Amino acid sequence: MNCRSCHTIITSLLLSILSTAQVPHYTFHEIGEAHQRAQFTMVYQTTDGFLWFGSDQGLFQYDGFSFKPYLVPDSLSNNEVSAIYEDARGGLWVGYQDGAIFHAGSSRQLKPWIIEEGWPKVPVTAFREGDDQVFWFSTYGEGIYYYQNQHLYNINTDDGLLGDDIYTMIKVDKNQMWVGTDGGISICALKNGKKTLEHITREEGLPDDIVRTMLPDSQGNLWVGTYDRGFCYLDVQTRDVHVPVAPWPYGPVSSLEIFDGREVWVGTEAEGVLRYCLQDSSLQILEREDQRRGSKIHDLHKDQEGNIWVLDNMEGIRSANRRFEFIKKTLQNLQAVLVDHGGQLWLGTQRGLFTLEKEDANQTIFKPHLEGTPLNIISLFEDQFQNLWIGTFGNGLFCYHPSSQQLKQFTEKDGLTNSSILSIDGVNGKVWLATLGGVTEIDSEENILLQNQLATKNYNLEGGLGTNFIYKVFVDSQGRTWFGTDGKGISVLENGTIINYTVAADSLPIRAVYSITEDHRGHIWFSTAKEGLYEFDGKQFLPLGLEHGLRNLSISSLITDSKGNILIIHPSGIDLLDPKTRHLIYFDEAVGISDIDPHLNVVCQGTPGDIWIGARNGVMRYSVLYEALQTTPKVQLRGLSVFLAPVDFQEKNQFAYNENNLIFDYVGLWYTDPASVKYKYILQGFDLDWIESRDQQVTYSNLPPGDYAFKLTTVGNIASEKADYVYEFKVKRPFWQQWWFIIPVVLGGSLLIFWFIQQRERRIQRETLLKKEKVESQFEALKSQINPHFLFNSFNTLITIIEENPEVAVAYVEKLSDFYRSIIQYRKKDVIALQEEIELVNHYAFLLEKRYGSNLSLVIHAETDTINGLVAPLTLQILVENAIKHNVISKSKPLNIDIAIEKAFIKVSNNLQKKWTTVPSTGFGLQSIVNRYALLTDKKVKIEETETAFNVWVPLIKNEKL
Amino acid sequence: MFRLYLNIIVFALLTSFLQAQPSVYQIDKGSVYFVSEAPLEIIEARSKDLRGAIDPEKRTFAFAVKMRSFQGFNSPLQREHFNENYMESHRHPEATFSGKIIESIDFSEEGVYEIRAKGVLKLHGVEQERIIKSTIVAGPDSLSIRSNFTILLEEHDISIPRIVYQKIAEEIKVQVTAELTR
Repeated sequence: MNCRSCHTIITSLLLSILSTAQVPHYTFHEIGEAHQRAQFTMVYQTTDGFLWFGSDQGLFQYDGFSFKPYLVPDSLSNNEVSAIYEDARGGLWVGYQDGAIFHAGSSRQLKPWIIEEGWPKVPVTAFREGDDQVFWFSTYGEGIYYYQNQHLYNINTDDGLLGDDIYTMIKVDKNQMWVGTDGGISICALKNGKKTLEHITREEGLPDDIVRTMLPDSQGNLWVGTYDRGFCYLDVQTRDVHVPVAPWPYGPVSSLEIFDGREVWVGTEAEGVLRYCLQDSSLQILEREDQRRGSKIHDLHKDQEGNIWVLDNMEGIRSANRRFEFIKKTLQNLQAVLVDHGGQLWLGTQRGLFTLEKEDANQTIFKPHLEGTPLNIISLFEDQFQNLWIGTFGNGLFCYHPSSQQLKQFTEKDGLTNSSILSIDGVNGKVWLATLGGVTEIDSEENILLQNQLATKNYNLEGGLGTNFIYKVFVDSQGRTWFGTDGKGISVLENGTIINYTVAADSLPIRAVYSITEDHRGHIWFSTAKEGLYEFDGKQFLPLGLEHGLRNLSISSLITDSKGNILIIHPSGIDLLDPKTRHLIYFDEAVGISDIDPHLNVVCQGTPGDIWIGARNGVMRYSVLYEALQTTPKVQLRGLSVFLAPVDFQEKNQFAYNENNLIFDYVGLWYTDPASVKYKYILQGFDLDWIESRDQQVTYSNLPPGDYAFKLTTVGNIASEKADYVYEFKVKRPFWQQWWFIIPVVLGGSLLIFWFIQQRERRIQRETLLKKEKVESQFEALKSQINPHFLFNSFNTLITIIEENPEVAVAYVEKLSDFYRSIIQYRKKDVIALQEEIELVNHYAFLLEKRYGSNLSLVIHAETDTINGLVAPLTLQILVENAIKHNVISKSKPLNIDIAIEKAFIKVSNNLQKKWTTVPSTGFGLQSIVNRYALLTDKKVKIEETETAFNVWVPLIKNEKL
Repeated sequence: MFRLYLNIIVFALLTSFLQAQPSVYQIDKGSVYFVSEAPLEIIEARSKDLRGAIDPEKRTFAFAVKMRSFQGFNSPLQREHFNENYMESHRHPEATFSGKIIESIDFSEEGVYEIRAKGVLKLHGVEQERIIKSTIVAGPDSLSIRSNFTILLEEHDISIPRIVYQKIAEEIKVQVTAELTR
């Protein structure tokens, strides 16, 4: 009970009323049957966007749809995850309760971290990467370890550490590790390889020595959660400690998380999640539902989109988008909202005026005001004098001063154009009322409630407005007043004159204008009844409609948040517009916005950064998150398979020609609303245009060789054709289509063909030449042998011997006949054996001898018989005949013909004694021999004529066949 | 002076265990073996002269080995170089390792234990804090220890001349085995 009383003391001290009322809308995430009973104790987000959950049943990766287990072998670890960390290179580190440590690279394959010194025997509680390539991890039981130069070193109580049970370790600057122990905070550092330790304990101002969790913020503070005394923050430089909330009845603080450096979420082990707001020092208990009340929080985590994830000892994993919070069990049918100078929320309904009041930390009530006065409120405004202006439907304007409770009604009698006031806005002592009868401008004064007469000025159809039905009045930053009309476009009042805009630049008519706001560049944005949104930059009207990503044209309200983004509120939910890039983020059921069906312009600015939105079914608060957040789904390739076999796409981007059936598995991480993600992809080099799809997989079969780029983005991203993820790869040509193969093959082939043709040509040419030569030589030989002169001489010789020596005559005739037979026999051949030729010459010589007697001597050297070799037929015979034909043969001048072998030649020589009268000669004989030999062999026939001799060398053709 | 100091420390540790603590385990048989696996040469040596003690209650331990007790090597000259040039055994005659066991294990219960000894390894006169993983087989009144670890020469300021670089490894593998009784 003591605890309970502390509780009420604290809550009664809290100043703010607004921030205590609304709660986040939690979404629960399905874990899946197999691991339903797992106790999830930690959540971590890696830079690639994936959320990793640690449980007593192992590590899980979550993509918004399913939890994928990453289990390690039972033989190495019990899979009870106790620490998750990502190093600077994207490597994932996982520590387990039994001291096991696993590491995974970009391919996310968990492998044991093998070190000589071995793993600790106690739970690993944290990892941190220091500078200078020192890697640290803390344990629950053995102090902390650091790994340097392939060796592991330990710091424990023996070294002066405050305790060996380390709950948390963070890197504060450079190589300083701050660890939370049972004895306070120890600050460990390595200076010149030596361990140094500093301590922060209760003596230095810590509320409690048991430090369970620590969280550095962007302002140089370190937030510390303790076991018994709540949380505190300390300046890292000065080490000054501040304890915001004391005493602390909410149990041990297990986790801390900070939004925008001003809102601290505190996970406790006795009261669930608490929220501490720095600006007004308020503390709110967020666990409202009985079922979750008093839950034990294991971990809190803020993801890159601004969602908070809560892990507690109850079943399920839940998350909430921090931007939107809701007041449940609220007033219905809100028609106007206003936050006054003090942060008080006022609500206008058909049944009158209410404020939101807090009873205690868990309860809020709606307190009615002006109960005696029937008020159907449709607009609310507070002027600079803290007067509340209440616009009603039909009953005119009420001015109300809450602190003095004074109330005064103004109607048409007091100079108003109409008693139905749809919208009120004002600045610097002027207030404008948008009514169903035009616009009334009122000089507001501090004591307006005491005045009998209002100083009014009316604008209507006669005064220059297009119509008297005005939905919205809006005063911009330049002091211009804008009016949204019913059917007659948008009008602006500047320096007393009204300009009506009824047509947009592309001649589209602007009709009913419901809502108006201004972005931080001074552009006016307004919504129309049917044509969507327009942006007016001072010169032209730029549309923003369904084709630009807007989800619904029935826009009820527009309002600009303090960061400059515009909230577009419509029945489908809320579209958050970045006016500069025109990027839209959609919010709907997934963040708790459903069936809002709002009235026109039920929005207002709250305390800085907050916007209140009234719907038919309740009130919601939108909070600006100033920190840099992810605004589009984080798209990436998750897997790539070639013919169903997974490949490491991080490493591989070249594929063989037959590795051309590719399946791309991709994901767009958008935890705010995973189901809303719609993809757009293109395979450049194959697809002609972007393809929209809700699938997370695409198959390309039978890709031809080429260079490709798989580009991926999500629909709704206005800068559409820009890919968020690109994977470039190449399907290589088969080797027979590669240039290094084709060029030599073509060259070689053509050379071969060319050579072949050339050879063939040469052979044919040679053959025809040889044929021709042969025919000619045969002809000539025949001609010469049947030379009548020779015959005449032969017969004469025969006559002389026939009587004297008939036996010799018979032999003579026989030789003559042999000679002619040989000629006929050999003339068709290309070559004949040397012996055959010699024989022929011998026959010839016999005939000549009979005629010339000793005047002619023909000597054939005997060794010629023994030589194997070929000659062209009749070669020697022609040469002998030539010698006889051209030389004088007489007793005083005998002719000596010599046939001998000289190496590879046959030499035919005779002494030169030319006839004075030359015998008519065709010159064919010698030339024919030269020509024939040129075709038969490479060796040439040599002819030499000196003063005394005539020599011919005929090459011997090698007899290859014999 | 330094050597004297070291000797006193080791002696004091050993004697204090001996006299004051009957529960202290002492080495009966202990050996230290090292191997240097360089690209061009493998050098091995062993000393059977390991002395030391473990106090199971305080979880403290101390071990020492004389550098000159190492036998083996590929040649007598190499052994001389080891002592004279690298280890400078005349100045630093002993290597010691003393500290505390991280795990709290009751060695009176028989069994096989994997322990890690956190202590200061002193070699070549240079102290390095190290964690050395060991397997201890606890028997009745006896302990049998086996551990493998590596020593980086650079960490102990043992410089190797350039030419010998190919013959001596940067990282020396060490195996210690010991039988202790009380």
